[in-house]
Amino acid sequence: MPATRTLDACAPIMKLRMPEMPPATMLTALGSYNLLPAIVFLPTRRRCDEAASEAALSRRATADDRREARRDFMRSYVEQHPEIRDHRHWDTIVRGGIASHHAGHMPAWKLVIEKLMSAGLLDGIFATATVAAGVDFPARTVVITVADRRTNRGWESLTASELQQMTGRAGRRGKDKVGFVIAAPGPHQNPQRIAELLAAPPDDLESQFRATYTSLLNLLDAFGSFAQVRDIAERSFAFRNLLPRIHHLEKQREANVNQIRAELQLKAINLPVESVLALERLASARSRLLEGTPQTRREVRQQWLNKVVQPGRIVAIGRSGRRLALVYSRTLDGVTAMREDGRFSSFPLQRVGRVFAPIFSTRPERAEEAFDEIHDRGDQLALPEPKLRDAQAGEDEAIKLINDAIDALAPAQAATAEREAVVTTLWSLQAPAAAMEKANREIENLRAEIWEPFERSARVLDHFGYLDFAKEKVTERGKWLADLRVDRPLLIGEVLQRNLFASLEATHAAALIAALAADEDRDYGELELEDAIVSLLIKFEEISFEVSTAEWKQGIEAAPEINFSAASAAAHWANGVGWDELVRETRAEEGDLVRMLSRTGEALLQIAGLRGTHALAAELASRTAEIILREPIR
Amino acid sequence: MRRSHGDPRGRKPFRKRPGHDRGARSEGHQSRPQPDQVTRGGNYSRELQSLLTGIGTPKPEPFKADRFQTEALAALEFEDVLVTAPTGSGKTWIAREEIRRLLATGKRAWYTSPLKALTNSKYQEFGEEFGAERVGILTGDRKENSDAPLIVGTTEIYRNQLFDALRGGEDVRVDLVIFDEAHYLGDEDRGHVWEEAIILTPPRIRMLLLSATVGNARELARWIEELRGVPCRVVTRPGDRPVPLRAAFLLPDKKLVSLLGPNGKLNREIATIVAQGDETDRPRRDYRRR
Repeated sequence: MPATRTLDACAPIMKLRMPEMPPATMLTALGSYNLLPAIVFLPTRRRCDEAASEAALSRRATADDRREARRDFMRSYVEQHPEIRDHRHWDTIVRGGIASHHAGHMPAWKLVIEKLMSAGLLDGIFATATVAAGVDFPARTVVITVADRRTNRGWESLTASELQQMTGRAGRRGKDKVGFVIAAPGPHQNPQRIAELLAAPPDDLESQFRATYTSLLNLLDAFGSFAQVRDIAERSFAFRNLLPRIHHLEKQREANVNQIRAELQLKAINLPVESVLALERLASARSRLLEGTPQTRREVRQQWLNKVVQPGRIVAIGRSGRRLALVYSRTLDGVTAMREDGRFSSFPLQRVGRVFAPIFSTRPERAEEAFDEIHDRGDQLALPEPKLRDAQAGEDEAIKLINDAIDALAPAQAATAEREAVVTTLWSLQAPAAAMEKANREIENLRAEIWEPFERSARVLDHFGYLDFAKEKVTERGKWLADLRVDRPLLIGEVLQRNLFASLEATHAAALIAALAADEDRDYGELELEDAIVSLLIKFEEISFEVSTAEWKQGIEAAPEINFSAASAAAHWANGVGWDELVRETRAEEGDLVRMLSRTGEALLQIAGLRGTHALAAELASRTAEIILREPIR
Repeated sequence: MRRSHGDPRGRKPFRKRPGHDRGARSEGHQSRPQPDQVTRGGNYSRELQSLLTGIGTPKPEPFKADRFQTEALAALEFEDVLVTAPTGSGKTWIAREEIRRLLATGKRAWYTSPLKALTNSKYQEFGEEFGAERVGILTGDRKENSDAPLIVGTTEIYRNQLFDALRGGEDVRVDLVIFDEAHYLGDEDRGHVWEEAIILTPPRIRMLLLSATVGNARELARWIEELRGVPCRVVTRPGDRPVPLRAAFLLPDKKLVSLLGPNGKLNREIATIVAQGDETDRPRRDYRRR
């Protein structure tokens, strides 16, 4: 069976196109140079499995006195981890001396492979880059087959650090005098880049500090004021990395002040630096007003559309306007929206006719409801379009006021000629004043960069009653939420708060928690779900939508969607099916199932810790966790 | 035996040279070819011989701590220490020796790691080393012997203990915290936990960070220093790799060539072959693609 060529479809175009060497051929070649054992890095789990089977098959016929040793070794682990006994790769390892190692395999299985490797019983391992992180299992040689790596954002070039993690597996201390990194031929190989990356200095460690509900609640509860939480946040590595920029801006600002001060002194003008700044502010306010005032009806309309056409709103396309579309995203002057027939289209902002006030969810399954509402009550819901006269009125007045204020800056009692000279100097200092203002704004923005997300999270928590924003206090409710150390505490908090959890059966509790503990886009098979669980999940989705909306209003990225297929797999597991049956029925990878169920169990244990405030829920969670965390999940 | 499985076809070029793998060349100059051996290399070209020479198992040597290891240990008595070295070069040894020293004086240590699998294997390892009764484990779903003087656990759990201590107004009962795989600080999803843990660890608790090699280790140490008001020493393994590394390119015709030329850049030969292949391989590639 040839290895799959899926890479061709999605990898970036590279100029080098070389045929890919079949795995068996590669291992034989390496063996002829005495370069085994080797870890061969492949980009996907499936290719690791295929390559291992392929290579093992062709090596079965060759003489190898370690087969018995491998069989005995593996049998010695069966007692402790019975789930490895019927593993589909058993023969690949025992007879071929080759293994596949990636996150799709069970932890116990991976452990056995690691032990086999360090016992010197394997010739080759086909692995994804995850092996490179964490577990220490070296070989004489590592083989790099592609210069790219699959990430959450698609295919990306390897980084120097990633390559270093991989080459870190080459050469076993005490067993090898020298280790090898070998670039193997393939359509996505790039020896030039590998050579550059090998020579490159290691990447910098970048801070990933961010606001989370858990840290905010815990810190506010411990320290008692936003100022102190902010102080903690500004001790982060992330903030420290902003400091050089802040200091640079502060220096710039100081230079500007000195320049202004010197000039005022030179001209013997007895005015503070603030007057120059005030003039700058007034002047720029005036020019903003003049610029911003729409001169034509078209401009008024454009400005208005720009403001009101936003994701979640329904707009009518064209002036006649019965064709509706739900806005998904906006560019400067374009709109992408879903029409009533479910298809997406993009059109220029000017083509929008009417805009309707409500902001709906942009989930496709909710679009129909939204359109219905507009059909029913569209006339009441349409936003009024501003008229040109309204837009211009008031601004003439404002400009007059500003002009008066500018005049008042120069000392009134001075003689006319002197006044003229002062005004001229003040105007001549506008450039440094503007630079100063700009530096001030930038400093403020930088300082806010770390703290602002905390403030936004605080507003969301305030909305749901876990925190009192005005009093800067964690509420009673917030105290138990602070104790709930899960990935998405607010969602689970709301589930508990609304008594959705305590009265459930264990199976349902498992399904509910699995739905949000799982990776959003991972497929755990399509086992059938009981109606009761489906309606439970629908209720849960409503809560999730409410939470996401509150977050979205604060500019917090929406949480991932809940995973129905994880719910069904977890419900089956909680029902007591055997592991083999679960794997067979879900057709999911064992490693993924283990991770999902183990995370579900951990989240349940967190709920079980809330005995003091949620006795019933805690008892149920504890019972459910016990069911979920049975072998081989532990 | 390691050496008996080199090539299924039975061609074992280096076995023709008695003593090559084992005793003769164990002086530690393995990365440099020696002329007398190169000439004995059978039908390999001179370049290939120099690329492959020295493969094999070194003579077992009694363990002796490297300088960077002893330097880190000595510094830890008074300072925080950030050790950057590749995996497998003996970072764990430093942690183990420091733990031994602390336990002997009745003090307590916390060993954090990013992965449950690592935590479990460290729990076993330390249990064998220091006695099971002196080691406890804390992960999201495992809690054993949690009052032991040495705790291994995930960084999240350690961070949670800091939160609890702060809110309860108590002190964390620990004298040393070790962050294994400290470069997880840069992990997109979980890195913030490491930063929170470092910020919230009281300055009286010594900190030992074990990290893969990173570009800005000094920057990181300076941050920790300013944060905690305690000197933070960067200890790096000189010559960065415990086992020297050579890079090669395996050509489609199974010929092995050095990846790098004498100037440290891409071997010219590869560039030439690759450029040729670009033209001539096209029909074959189409056939292969199906």
